[in-house]
Amino acid sequence: MSMNRFCEELTALLPRLRRFARGLTRDAADADDLCQQTVERALKARHQWQEGTRLDAWVYRIMRNQWIDEARARTRRSQTFVHEDEGANVGTSGAADAENLVELGNVGRALSRLPDEQREAVVLVLVEGFAYKEAAEIIGVPQGTLTSRLGRGREALMRELGELA
Amino acid sequence: MSVTNEELMAYADGELSAADAARVEAAVAADPALAERIAAERRLRDSLQGHLNPVTEEPVPDSLNAMIAAAAEEDARADRGKVVSLAEARAERARKEAGTAEPRRPFLQRWGSGLAIAASLVVGVALGTQIASNGPIEQRNGKLVASGTLARGLDAKLAATQGETGSLRILTSFESKAGSYCRVFDSRATAGIACKDKSGWVLERTMASSAQQASQYRQAGSAMSELMAAAQDMAKGAPLDAAQERAAKAKDWMR
Repeated sequence: MSMNRFCEELTALLPRLRRFARGLTRDAADADDLCQQTVERALKARHQWQEGTRLDAWVYRIMRNQWIDEARARTRRSQTFVHEDEGANVGTSGAADAENLVELGNVGRALSRLPDEQREAVVLVLVEGFAYKEAAEIIGVPQGTLTSRLGRGREALMRELGELA
Repeated sequence: MSVTNEELMAYADGELSAADAARVEAAVAADPALAERIAAERRLRDSLQGHLNPVTEEPVPDSLNAMIAAAAEEDARADRGKVVSLAEARAERARKEAGTAEPRRPFLQRWGSGLAIAASLVVGVALGTQIASNGPIEQRNGKLVASGTLARGLDAKLAATQGETGSLRILTSFESKAGSYCRVFDSRATAGIACKDKSGWVLERTMASSAQQASQYRQAGSAMSELMAAAQDMAKGAPLDAAQERAAKAKDWMR
């Protein structure tokens, strides 16, 4: 019985999940892939979800961990790539990134320049509206760590966006 | 009295206790620099949301909805396997809601006498008290047609994504050999098969719902499977999948 509730709630959550994915990945295609993988994982694990607990925090955590895995795998791949084939292709991907950055606008660019751990903290609290405690649980760090990442992240953003002298 | 940056941030995020928040507010009121800092925090939040919120307005890719619908269908199939215990739960709920057992509807007694009778209860025999101007079923041009919440539920609910809440449950949807869309439903009062035509949802078959089978779970369970068997006989092919069901709904269930 709870399964259908689960599916209904998950469906209702999709627009927000897509927003969080965009905040994490900063790329529409990557965000779509991440969403797809997250929903797959969440559905597979749906019997483990405890009714009465927040589904959104549960799924956000899955998405966040999925993205960390993906980002690590990419780092490994790109290191291998550069190592084995130093040269032209590296420059090409750099140019594509620069192009992306132009399309992002000021805010997107500033967000892109943040270290991943600061960006996820900023997005969870300021965009997704989670309380410190919930955001810390989603990331899996103590609340003090969350608030210090959040503080550094927003400081950097304010500087970049000219909000701070 | 000093206020730290951490406190300002926590204040802007609504994370301070009432006492601490009051202290920050007093400090902010006395210091334009602090006030500007709070305003900058708000502007930052607005810019970030302005940047990312439009994503929530974009259409969600069909593939995501389809994946969830498929999982819901899988669960629904598992639930149908447990129809006996479901019926038990519904009956329990109905008893609680009603407070007392309902004395009317003597036809219910007949359920105890046989299983096969389930699907063969003909429209009109079983309906007795439910045909009323404001009931879930109306008579139009000699046909029995769903009205009110039953009609709205048949229009709106999708088997793949419905929850357990609400009094109407769609068991399956299919296309009949006669060329119309039909749905097997189970509501608090009535279960049956309804097919859509110009006049609305025509009730092809009805029986007392599983919720009415207070003390006869076994029969209720087999009654639903009789209904499903009857649906299978009427159907042109396999039941509609989640996507086909959505498409049929989009066409207002008219072919």
